[in-house]
Amino acid sequence: MTILDLDNFETDFWKDVDKRATWDQIIPGELRDTTPVTLTKEVIARFAKGVGEDNPLYFDEEYAKTTIYGGIIAPPSIHILLMFACTTTEDWMRSPGTINAGQNWSYHVPIRPGDTITMRGTALDRFIRKDRLFAVHENSFTNQHGEIVCTGRGQTIRPA
Amino acid sequence: MTAEEQFNKVDEGEVITGRPFTVSRDTIQAFADASLDYNPLHFDDNYMKNKFGKTSFDGVIMHGMQNFALITRTLTDWLIPRGGFHRRLETRWLKPVQLGHTITPVVTLQSKKKTEKGYWLLFDVEVTNQDGMLVAMGNAMAEFIDIIPGKR
Repeated sequence: MTILDLDNFETDFWKDVDKRATWDQIIPGELRDTTPVTLTKEVIARFAKGVGEDNPLYFDEEYAKTTIYGGIIAPPSIHILLMFACTTTEDWMRSPGTINAGQNWSYHVPIRPGDTITMRGTALDRFIRKDRLFAVHENSFTNQHGEIVCTGRGQTIRPA
Repeated sequence: MTAEEQFNKVDEGEVITGRPFTVSRDTIQAFADASLDYNPLHFDDNYMKNKFGKTSFDGVIMHGMQNFALITRTLTDWLIPRGGFHRRLETRWLKPVQLGHTITPVVTLQSKKKTEKGYWLLFDVEVTNQDGMLVAMGNAMAEFIDIIPGKR
């Protein structure tokens, strides 16, 4: 298991840009290279703070125990972080100029501190519309018990 | 309270207005540090002078997923105290959001739906900017449920 280390993340998205698949090279159905990560209570609290989630359910164990959740959970939107945390610097979602066109996400089992999350991601489809290059991506995240955490589909406009 | 009782306590047509959010370089940095999305679209003024296909932008833009996170917060701020469980969010981005813009998510409980095993809420989502223009729209689903999936 790899504890997610937010402080040593490669923030230069130009690094490895030549190694990433361009729109022409994206093969629908091909799996993206991913690594499972373990989310600590601290990582969850830091994500919550960073996106302005101030509900104590995400950082206060005493409060969280009184809710239907029975303990701290991560904000559902934490897949935004996992998308980059579970992929490599060669992943095409980091390509400069990748423009998000829309997303739909479905949530099942909440993430809890100590969970190890595995991402499975593909480009399901690609197309050209109004002179723009689109990729459709599908992702699913599972926890260490093999339970589905969330699944999502998104569309991005790829850099030409 | 059971899921059914919680379901019966909320009314179709309720309008939930989220907290207004003003974009600055600081908010973009904070979102990048939280999401690990450091795309130059959000940071590099020179890079943003380029054309992107047929699209050009007037400077750096806010992360689309910042909008997604603000909509999520609007929903969960309302759902958690009522015992509701956030199940789904679908969004489309209609306009880029730029530095100095203020956006506000508004969510409407459009309908309630009882299925064979579930008590569902269906929401419409709109996000407008300071000029009243729509920047994002979508819809969402939540469920009242007696036991959260995966709970041990």
